[in-house]
Amino acid sequence: MSFVTFGPRELAAAAPEIVLAAAGCVMILLDAFAPSSRRWLATLSLAAIAASSWFLIQAPIGTSFSSRYETSDLTVAAGLFAAATAAIATLVAKPYLRRTGEERGEFYALLLWGHLGVSLMVRGLDLLVVFIGLETLSLSFYVLAAFFRKIPASSEAGLKYFLTGAFASAFTLYGIALLFGKSGSVRIAALSRPDLATDPLVTFALLLLLVGFGFKMSLAPFHAWAPDVYQGMPTPAVAYLSVAPKGASLIVLFRVLAAVFESGMPDRFRAGIAALAILSMSLGNVVALAQRDIKRLLAYSGIAHMGYVAIALAVFGREALAAVIVYFFAYVVSNAGAFAAVSALYRDETKPHPVGLLAGEGRRSPFPSAVLALCLFSLAGIPATAGFIGKFFVFKAAIEKELYALAIIGIVNSLVSIGYYLKIVYVLYMRDPVGDELPPALAPADRLALLLCGAGILVLGIFPATLWDLARRAAASLPLGP
Amino acid sequence: MSALFDGQPLTELVFLPTVAALILLLFPERRSREAKIFAIAASLAEFALSIPLWTRFNVVSGGFQFVEKADWIPALGISYIVGIDGISLVLILLTTILTPVSLLYSLTHVEKSARAFSIAFLVLETGVIGTLVALDLALFYVFWEVMLVPMYFIIGIWGGSRRIYAAMKFFLFTMAGSLLMFLAILYLAIRHHAETGRWSFLLADLALVSYPTMAIETVLFLAFALAFAIKVPVFPLHTWLPDAHTEAPTAGSIILAGILLKLGVYGYLRFALPLFPDAATRFAPWLGVLGVIGVVYGALVAYAQKDMKRLVAYSSVSHLGLVVIGIGAFTGAAMTGAVLQMVNHGLSTGALFLLVGVLYERRHTREIADYGGIAGVVPITTGLFLVATFSSIGLPGLNGFIGEFLILLGTWTSDHRWWAVAAATGVVLSAIYMLSLVQRVFWGPLTHEENRRIPEIRGTELVAAGALVLLMIWIGVRPNYFLDRLRPSVEEIRRSVELRKTAQRAPVAVRPAAGVRP
Repeated sequence: MSFVTFGPRELAAAAPEIVLAAAGCVMILLDAFAPSSRRWLATLSLAAIAASSWFLIQAPIGTSFSSRYETSDLTVAAGLFAAATAAIATLVAKPYLRRTGEERGEFYALLLWGHLGVSLMVRGLDLLVVFIGLETLSLSFYVLAAFFRKIPASSEAGLKYFLTGAFASAFTLYGIALLFGKSGSVRIAALSRPDLATDPLVTFALLLLLVGFGFKMSLAPFHAWAPDVYQGMPTPAVAYLSVAPKGASLIVLFRVLAAVFESGMPDRFRAGIAALAILSMSLGNVVALAQRDIKRLLAYSGIAHMGYVAIALAVFGREALAAVIVYFFAYVVSNAGAFAAVSALYRDETKPHPVGLLAGEGRRSPFPSAVLALCLFSLAGIPATAGFIGKFFVFKAAIEKELYALAIIGIVNSLVSIGYYLKIVYVLYMRDPVGDELPPALAPADRLALLLCGAGILVLGIFPATLWDLARRAAASLPLGP
Repeated sequence: MSALFDGQPLTELVFLPTVAALILLLFPERRSREAKIFAIAASLAEFALSIPLWTRFNVVSGGFQFVEKADWIPALGISYIVGIDGISLVLILLTTILTPVSLLYSLTHVEKSARAFSIAFLVLETGVIGTLVALDLALFYVFWEVMLVPMYFIIGIWGGSRRIYAAMKFFLFTMAGSLLMFLAILYLAIRHHAETGRWSFLLADLALVSYPTMAIETVLFLAFALAFAIKVPVFPLHTWLPDAHTEAPTAGSIILAGILLKLGVYGYLRFALPLFPDAATRFAPWLGVLGVIGVVYGALVAYAQKDMKRLVAYSSVSHLGLVVIGIGAFTGAAMTGAVLQMVNHGLSTGALFLLVGVLYERRHTREIADYGGIAGVVPITTGLFLVATFSSIGLPGLNGFIGEFLILLGTWTSDHRWWAVAAATGVVLSAIYMLSLVQRVFWGPLTHEENRRIPEIRGTELVAAGALVLLMIWIGVRPNYFLDRLRPSVEEIRRSVELRKTAQRAPVAVRPAAGVRP
């Protein structure tokens, strides 16, 4: 039994999270005691995210808190894409909250704390740290889902997310308990024992973790919450929820599985994950075809994308993890960008978001429409966009491991997905506008967020070499085979 | 001036249209006429850039010229490598000619968001030229797919009444083929890595990959062939074509029929043949048979059309079938003829679409029955249409004759003599449906009162159509000026296929890769 020491090394390692936690408290206090400062909250929040990222990059590489906490290329990479998501969400949130008349400090505080939870999940080497991160994230977003107290759809989203989320957390905790029982420790490193890899109880525990984190990823069949929650939750919060927690969950799964299956993933387990991947891709894409609400459509598209990512989990290896990291960087700019555009394009936040309302927006609000179209092409995986690069590496990893069937099913699925992505592009550019009220002027913060996402999609899509090198370095942090 | 071209002529050629498109983004939305004129100027500058390639091209060599190389994703050996041989050269020239022609035509016809229209065309030109110069499979794939997006918008926004359906069908059909090709490219690169320990997506490197079994080579070949066959389109994958061509705006139809279809054949020649010589040889008879079916089927269906534009669209299926026969026959003459015929078809079909567009803009109908006897009303249009028709049906003295003759000759001397017979019937059929079209539209009594006052072809339209007609005559009279640039490259492809085939039969590698191979 080792005691946790707290010295300068620990302080440096935890600085990113300390900044986030403190900044969240400051938001609440400022909101309560200096209401006139509300219009600066978004800027402060961005500063906190930037400071936290800076501390993350500066933190000394290695472990701290008696090997419970990691700073590595992997955690830096994951921290950066989560921070990028948080920054986009914050930028979008400012005009969004102003339009809805709900510009309150809680929103930013909850977003920052949720981001803190993601950071803990990624960096924890101890299953309890990971679990605390997961719960911090979840609790913040349960509240964010129900942020519009007066709107029934929002309360419904909060309640649904809370009930199902609590259920999923119980699975996770049960899995952790079983692993603790078998290995005698909550540390992930303690799972690296040859006898554990073949132990049926450990396999069962891993399946429980797969359910718990699969729920966070909205991986089918644990996806049912996503469309309802996305629909009711404020769009900027969805921009974060639909990207960063999914990436963090996947990294946790990689970490745990890498510890247990040091000598390679058993074929049966791989087949199970492959089945989830196929189910998630197929179900997400087919159901998305039938959606009329853009937030629900993007929710199902997200379910499908987690299927593609699960292909990489089934491939399992250093190249696959690197592919996942590239995929999530691409997913930040494409998916968070799409939600940012949705937030900028829809005037009435409190009503549903039917795709048909976007008719003719291509001419009326050219910039957000163009970025939305670019995001959709990127999500569809058209070359010269970031989304293509993500798919490129995932499919490359799959073919390298000779998982041809999985690659072919994946590619057929991306063909299906083009159907609904193009449907939105069609509505944007090829239909005449419905009403004649002019769209509101684009807020500067929205413009900046959209510009960043659009530029990110093209830059990552055309010059992916640096990102791939970063991802490969990051992937080398885990004890994985090639 | 020449110093400009000494540097990186191909890179400049690929990205000049994109730069012009970016500049166009800065134009105010309302300045549509200025935007259109700027786009025409940019496409003419692009044409000017392409001329030195033609004049400085080394006619004796069949290899790649003007090669430029730079790292792109070094960790995976993906590079930006571009270069051209005679085949890409003539298709590049075709592109740089047809793009200003279609933009010139659109000057007086596209009213809705002209700026966006011009941007789409310029981006499309970058995609097409990039596809024609790329010598790295990843680079090729990127350009190949990027072409789809502007074309989707061109059909979907500026097209006819069923444009949405046509645009979607076009996008999904083409995408369906290329996605499997994408997996095949990945497989090839991974296999190359496994064999040599080095990552590369270069065509020259991947062409040395050996396949464990014939079945694997066949599957990979089919993945590539499917992508290209859909683009051509080879019967029975042609169903997207009539819709896309008919619904696209005139300028879009010109580019679609004139250039995009050729890229399918180009891809087959450039990639499928050298990469999979054995499978390609085995499947060549099938290709020829599909070509024969395409020739006859396309011609018969064209004859049955009541809509002028649809008739021209189906004639493309027939003409491209002839090209496919030429490729399948695999003799020097047939393949050279096939490549030249692609250019010819681009010119004649481009001109036909343009002139049909001219009539449509004035009468707002494409029904053949709504016309008749207008030769006296619009004599210049009629004259141009006749030349384009004669070119299309292969009248001696015009370009179409040279291509068709070479294909028939080359096919007759190959192992598949009867294809030549079938192809010849296609030539006869094309005369029937095209001449009957001319007769029903231009000759005969003037039955519709409205047709008495159809305005004659205008200045810009005349320049656009006239340029194409001049080229038809030039190729018809001086074919060797063009064929000289094609022959060595075609021979190079044939030679590499023959070499590779023998190399695989005998395990001794003819071109060992500098000691890296175990």
